[in-house]
Formats: sequence, structure tokens, C-alpha cells
Amino acid sequence: MPKTLKDLRPVYVVGAGYHRYQPLSETTFVTLGLAAVRGALADAGIEFPAVESAFVATALLPMAPGRPILRHLGASGIELIHIENASASSSAAFRKACIEVASGLVDVALVLGVDKPPTSGPRGRAEAKTGIGNLADDAIVPFTHFALLADQYTQRWGVDPNDVARVAVKNHANGAKNPNAHRQQVRTLEEILGGRPVAGNFTTLQCTPVGEGAAAVVVASEDAIRRLNISGDKPVRVTGSASRSQRVYDDNTTFDANLTSETTEICLREAGLRPDQLDIVELHDAFTVEEVQYVEAMGLCAPGRAVPMLKEGAWDVGGRCAVNPSGGLIAMGHPIGPTGVGQIGEIALQLRGAAGARQHKGAKTGLAHMVGVGAVCYVHTLQRD
Amino acid sequence: MRALKPDLYTVPQGPSTIPQLHGGRCRCGYVFFPMQAYGCEKCGATGDALAAAALDARGTLVASARVLLHAAKDRTAPFVVVSIKLDDGPVVRSLLAQDRADRLPIGTRMQGLLAEVGRADDGETVADLRFAPVQPA
Repeated sequence: MPKTLKDLRPVYVVGAGYHRYQPLSETTFVTLGLAAVRGALADAGIEFPAVESAFVATALLPMAPGRPILRHLGASGIELIHIENASASSSAAFRKACIEVASGLVDVALVLGVDKPPTSGPRGRAEAKTGIGNLADDAIVPFTHFALLADQYTQRWGVDPNDVARVAVKNHANGAKNPNAHRQQVRTLEEILGGRPVAGNFTTLQCTPVGEGAAAVVVASEDAIRRLNISGDKPVRVTGSASRSQRVYDDNTTFDANLTSETTEICLREAGLRPDQLDIVELHDAFTVEEVQYVEAMGLCAPGRAVPMLKEGAWDVGGRCAVNPSGGLIAMGHPIGPTGVGQIGEIALQLRGAAGARQHKGAKTGLAHMVGVGAVCYVHTLQRD
Repeated sequence: MRALKPDLYTVPQGPSTIPQLHGGRCRCGYVFFPMQAYGCEKCGATGDALAAAALDARGTLVASARVLLHAAKDRTAPFVVVSIKLDDGPVVRSLLAQDRADRLPIGTRMQGLLAEVGRADDGETVADLRFAPVQPA
């Protein structure tokens, strides 16, 4: 019988750090990465020599950016591995770091996500180089894909597309309280809807900004927490970790939601949790409709109910379950490599009661969800007594 | 008339016929588009298990979205992208033959047609596949 993370020794997030997500600038990836790593180490109250293994996640930088960053912390000779898994790169890195610590191979692992979009055009996707043709490949970009899903969803459930845009109102309000967010401005529904039209009902403010940034967490065992005297208010236990990739579904048009549904179910089962026990959910809201579809796919509410509940404030900070209190991809931003581990850091802060103005009171249980093109999906649960 | 992407669809022989898509069928029963010989996405079979299958460019609308902002310079917005479930099984994404601002109801019957997109060096018309709602008889 295969083991789950919970069958291995307990593993904890003990520190989180960021470089603000922001538009592409002259800042080097080294500066971005060092800010996040030093922030995470300082948060945990440990020094770099205590780290025994480093996972560096990136999807847009040239190969091997890890050592050019980490050598400036004192090159200690530890294992250094790079992980690329599209938008879920650092979610994958976090999962592998947790497994490594839980297995007992190391006591302290560092997860760093860092990225800068290339200035010479997109790096592109391998899917476009398979040699298999496509009727309209040049006309379908991510926002077109999600505009199609939004049309399918709103017609299926009789939802006003303008109400789906309220996801962006909520997430911009959360991002305005997050000093690490790319967008830190409160927006009204009129401002969201009045933005530049992109596709379907989407305006630019309903779509994630892809910029640069970095996020890091330190993952540690109980042995390390004791040995390094890590403060008792820091550790947040990782109680579930699951990942799946896309299959052939009966209805392949909703593969993102299908993949989310099955991965979340595995993770919650492993953690022994029900969806209604979640206080915090950080999910992949690159486009407003995704948040609506994923809260339903996760079982946070019945199909077709996400938008009415959004309007009632159920997903607000202070509501039934705070969805994307960081601002999500729409407001906190989506620098690709850092995004997944940035969610983990946000949940750790929320469960520690250290999330400042965007704190969801009494949060004990959080779930992080990322999808990446391919498609892959990662779900983690974090808990604190 | 010549197809812009002859690997993907045929040019219909007469005005009463609709284009056909070059799909494939696995011996496990899975029907896919476009044809490829790498292996079946459903069961992994390859070689003789995969056979070419002509799929009628006819089906029902799953969703549509009017694109208003598009980065690529060779295609000018606005245009409408459609997702169609073919009667033969696979879901394909294509363009609507005519731009339109109103919303097409899901479930609308759709069929393919070849729309002129340019001319070859020898003067022959080059056409690409588009979809349009089926006109009531």
C-alpha cells in the first residue's frame, strides 16, 4: 500500500519570504531571489548553513538560475535542483521538498520560486512543437481558452457574466492590503468592467498580470525545529499533498475543473478534511471564471452556487472561507515560477495570524491549489492547532 | 481552391458537401482530431491500432468568445473563437466565419465551410476552415 505524506514524519513550513511581484524592471533575478530567501530565513530565524537542500522553481528564466542566486548566501555545497512545471513550478518544488523532509533524508529544505519574463518574446510551450496541427492555434491564447469556459459556465448556470467579474473586485481589495502584491489598488465593479476589453466578457483587470518576483519558504522536520530553536509560533504543518495530470475525461471541455476536482479530493482525503472545514483557499485565478469554477470543483459549494455565494460575501476575508486573501493571481500577480510557493507562504502567514490587514480571523486550515499548462494540478493542505 | 492546412481538412468537392476533418480512430474506440501516429491518448496503443478517420465538420456549439485584443499581427481582432463538439465525438476549436457581437446560444448547430484567406503564387484561392451556424432549412 503506497504511503501518503501523512504516513511519513511530520513536515512544517517554518518561514516565508517574498520579493514583491511587480512589472518587469531592471531588477536582476539575483536580487529578486535573494530578497525572498533572506526573508524566509529571517522569518524562520535560521541561517543559510542550516539548509540541507534547495529546490529552485522557474519557468521563464534561462537554465540554472539557482546557483547564481544562492552562492551569495555562502556557497555551502548543498544539493540544488531546478524544477520547471509551468505555472505550478514552485508548487511542484514545494511538494518534492516536503517529501524529502518527511522521508527523513534531510531536516531543512528551502523552496524558492523566482522568475522574470523574457524581453525577447515568450519562451513558448512544448505543446506548440509536437508537429500535430491545430485549426486555430494562432487565435487561441490562455485568455481565449478561459473566455470560452466563461461563456460555457455562464450560459450553463444562467449567471450574469458581469457578476463573474466580482471575483476581481474581491481579489483586488485583498491585494490592496498585501505589500507583496503586483496590483495594490481597490477597484470597483465599474472599473473592472470598464477596463480594456480582451475576450468575451473579460477586461484586463479580470486577467492576471504576469510580471517578475520571488517567493520562498523553509520546510523543516520536528527534529530541526527543536535543534534550531525555531520559535513555536512559526511552524505550520503540511497535512496533505497531491498532484495529478490531465487524463481523457468524458467531458474534456472542462478538463481544468475535472483535474482540480480529483486532485483536491485526493489531498483532502489524505489530510482527513472536508471542504467545509477550510478557512483559507489560495487557488489559481488567472482569470475570474477560474475561481468560480474551482471553488465548485473543490466542493466548497454546490455546482452553480459559487457566484450567488460570492455576492453574499462567502469568499471574502471574514466570510465563510477566505478565497485568495493574498489577492490571488489577479491582484497579487503571477510571475509563474514564484506563484505556487507564494500561496504556501500566504497560508502559513494566515494560519499564524500574521497576515496583517488581510488576516482571516481564527484561520486554522488552508488549502493551496495550482494548475499549470500541460495540464498539471497541485493541491496542498496546511493546518495549525 | 486549395486548403491552407491540407493535413487537417479536405476541400469539399461540391457546394452541397461539407468539409471533412482528418481525424483518427483507435481500436479502443477513442476518436480524436487531428490524426497522429505517436500513440492513443486514451489507451496508449500505436502502430496499426490507429487508423485515419474522416470526421464531418458538423456539430454543436460548446462555447464561443469574441476576441477583442490579439497580439499576433497576422490576425486582426475582433474575431470569434468557437468550441464545437463534433457529431463524431472530438471537440475542436476554430473560428466563426463572420465576426458578430451578439452571443451565440450553446447547443447551436454548427457546420464547417472553407473561407478564402488569400491567394497562392499561382493565383489559386487559398481557403481555411471556419464554422458557421447551420441556417434553418
